[in-house]
Amino acid sequence: MANKVLAILNSKAPYSSTFGKDSLDIALIFGSYEQGVSLFFQGEGVFQLIPNQDGQQLSMKDYLKTFSAFEFYDIEDIYVCLESLQERKLSNAFHIEKVNILPAKEFAAKLKQHDCILRF
Amino acid sequence: MNKLAVIITSPPSSNLSVTAIEYVEAALAMQIDIVGVFFYQDGVMHANSYVDIPSDEYQANAKWLTLKNKFKLPLHLCATAASKRGLCIDETIKPDSQLSNIDNAFAVSGLGELVELTNYADRVVQF
Amino acid sequence: MATLHLVRKSAFNSQELLQCCQVLTSLDILILIDDGCYNLNHDLLADIKEIISVKHIKVIKHHAAARGQYVPKDIERISMSDLVSLTFETENVITWQ
Repeated sequence: MANKVLAILNSKAPYSSTFGKDSLDIALIFGSYEQGVSLFFQGEGVFQLIPNQDGQQLSMKDYLKTFSAFEFYDIEDIYVCLESLQERKLSNAFHIEKVNILPAKEFAAKLKQHDCILRF
Repeated sequence: MNKLAVIITSPPSSNLSVTAIEYVEAALAMQIDIVGVFFYQDGVMHANSYVDIPSDEYQANAKWLTLKNKFKLPLHLCATAASKRGLCIDETIKPDSQLSNIDNAFAVSGLGELVELTNYADRVVQF
Repeated sequence: MATLHLVRKSAFNSQELLQCCQVLTSLDILILIDDGCYNLNHDLLADIKEIISVKHIKVIKHHAAARGQYVPKDIERISMSDLVSLTFETENVITWQ
């Protein structure tokens, strides 16, 4: 059976809930099993990508730093919704490289190509 | 044959779990092959055998047990999510022991099981 | 490619329906389920009807009835079994919760 490709749609800001970390754990497991996984960021989820964050000041294990290891897990398809950035007056500066900014229509088209979509 | 995997991320304390169980029951009644139910995030609380709901309220845990027994429905628990929420993930303690608070209908698994389930299933639905 | 969208939250206090609307495309099916039933009277539903046919907007019958929600005639009321069937008639599922 052909391997399925998973999409994870991240919709929560990084610190006040465990959703971002729970989603990251799934992404890394899929990566380590050499299963395709793409990451999508929409709504408050885009705050997981902005620069100059420091969760340690909140006594958080800084899981956002792990994002820089995506390459080692072959996680290369990372998409962020342009409209979500614009609504929050955010620029295209992120704390990781190779993030693709897509207008909602293209963001949707990419997302829908996946066999399985989980939202966190 | 249609294969389905279900991921439960909502806790048993809300009516959202009734929806999930009704969906699973409907699928089983339609001969859908449910390859497994994976409990993650607050969903793992479904496995807590110490949860005691008044008898005139909806018994989510009992429902899962019935489905497991009647349809051999595999129920997988994410070990990390479970231990973070006070479930006893000590491999030396047997599930039916007095020391365990995990209902023995549930198998303690890891996220690797989620990889397997999504691979086997034609559709994955999250509740 | 059709996606099945399960909206479980009311748009009067959450972003779920709005975000769903952002990624909705013409062949998709939208299911109002759980507190998503309260969206039957939300203004966003008019925007959604411009993207997908009203035939593709459905509500779980007993979830709307339990919440005392009036279901307009053009919106189909479906059962859990119907929802299971739709799961396999579409390519993938997104749960907005």
